[in-house]
Amino acid sequence: MTEDITTASSEKDKSASEHKLTTHDYNVTTLRSYFLQNGFNYSNYQGLGYGLVLYPAFKKIYGENTDRLAKELEQNSEFYNTNPNFLPFITSLHLAMADEGADYEDIRGIKMALMGPLAGIGDSLSQFCIAPLFSTIFASLAMSGVAAAPLLFLVAMNGVLISIKFAVAAQGRKLGTTIIDKLSSELSTISETASMIGVTVISGLVATYVKMNVGISFAAGAAQEGVKQSTVNIQSMLDGIAPALLPVLYTALMYWLIKKKGWDTYKLVILTVVLGIVLSVCGILV
Amino acid sequence: MEISLVQALLIGLWTAFCYSGMLFGIYTNRALVLSFGVGLILGDVPTALSCGAIAELAFMGFGVGAGGTVPPNPIGPGIIGTLMAITMADVTPETALSLSIPFAVAIQFLQTFVYTLTSGNQEIATNALREHKFGKWHLFSNFTVILFAIVGFILGFLGASSMSLLSQLVALVPQWLLKGLSVAGGMLPGIGFAMIMSVMLEKKFVPFALLGYIAAAYLKMPVIGVALVGCVFALKHYNDVKENAVTQGASELAANDGEPAGREDWI
Repeated sequence: MTEDITTASSEKDKSASEHKLTTHDYNVTTLRSYFLQNGFNYSNYQGLGYGLVLYPAFKKIYGENTDRLAKELEQNSEFYNTNPNFLPFITSLHLAMADEGADYEDIRGIKMALMGPLAGIGDSLSQFCIAPLFSTIFASLAMSGVAAAPLLFLVAMNGVLISIKFAVAAQGRKLGTTIIDKLSSELSTISETASMIGVTVISGLVATYVKMNVGISFAAGAAQEGVKQSTVNIQSMLDGIAPALLPVLYTALMYWLIKKKGWDTYKLVILTVVLGIVLSVCGILV
Repeated sequence: MEISLVQALLIGLWTAFCYSGMLFGIYTNRALVLSFGVGLILGDVPTALSCGAIAELAFMGFGVGAGGTVPPNPIGPGIIGTLMAITMADVTPETALSLSIPFAVAIQFLQTFVYTLTSGNQEIATNALREHKFGKWHLFSNFTVILFAIVGFILGFLGASSMSLLSQLVALVPQWLLKGLSVAGGMLPGIGFAMIMSVMLEKKFVPFALLGYIAAAYLKMPVIGVALVGCVFALKHYNDVKENAVTQGASELAANDGEPAGREDWI
């Protein structure tokens, strides 16, 4: 694989004038990465979408040779599954090689090799860092009545994601063989930093947005004629020990069930709903 | 409150857009976004915001997992739940979240069904290519997103137009149960947080979990403040890592000096 790339890039210098694709074509392909999942299905996942993303660029490279175009599209329909935000890295690399005249057999290896690692990096960055971070921040803004919060969420999410798309597309076109190593070490530091902020925010939200209030109060001391009965409120006692104690403990219980007992979402939801109803009926939680 | 035919159609279109947006990866199929549209269409943004926010937090952890796995769908609380909270007087946003969970699960199965249904499309699309029918190939390469739009429209439209029936059903639910569902709705976000923590929380991040708790529970900081405090320590860590990399050798530095200014944009 490494050899393929070096050959391709040295040829690139020689035949620069013969390139059919312009920066505009690369940008169009990068934007078309939004179509990657338009044909998603359980037999080839993003396979159909991969061809769809590359269609205009292929049309330009293979011109009026419809046989070749059809063949390329068919070959590219094989199973594919990666992160849509990092796809432009692969498609740019693919196009740069194809524009050099490389055959699909040469490209296929690197295309398939990149699929897994980029899915891993991409998913951990977008699903586990950026999305939860923005999701929690803008949900809590919405909770405090900021009407534009949902729109700001969309703008922030998509602004970051489209920047990733274009940044990795440029890297892919440069065809650096070492770039994937560099990218992944750089990204792991970035995603670690983002995770730290994410963990801080989420644990803050546990304390704010999980709601459990004990509704029991006890009469303190014997009732006396004419003296106002003083009561001990369990909730304020708990707040005295630690604020938001029950929400934190309940979330910790959920965490424990997921991590140690392997519970899935359904069990957790059913447990929570049943507990909520029972504790409410008993008058323990209000 | 009655939903007019036009409103039901608009909600159908909005659901279709948001649901297909999930395939585009533009993050429209989130409870926060879905419910906002319902609120705009029905003219009750405040209720929609609190429904969307609660459900967004509860569902935040459900989407995480390897590519291709199908989680419970936010259309449940985002569309159906929000509709309930806006149209029915005694349904709070928390109750709506609990009541809409079965819909979220049903839609999840519907989605798995769509992916299975489209499994034959590769065959059809490749055959079309062999016959050089590029139009047909385009159609089948886009088939899933088209189906998503149709399914989304039906879900939104049916949901909105069957609200009077649903509200009669909800009226049959006794008061104690509604109250219990409301209490459960307040606890449900805990699942979302725990799910996401089960993926993100490593031993080295535990101090940050404590930091977040202290900032929010004791210092009563708003969430942006909590995020900024987290930023301070995370950036410190990031700089330390960079500095270590520098001391480790000039060759690695050369490989790392790509775009120093761009890094902070990520946070």
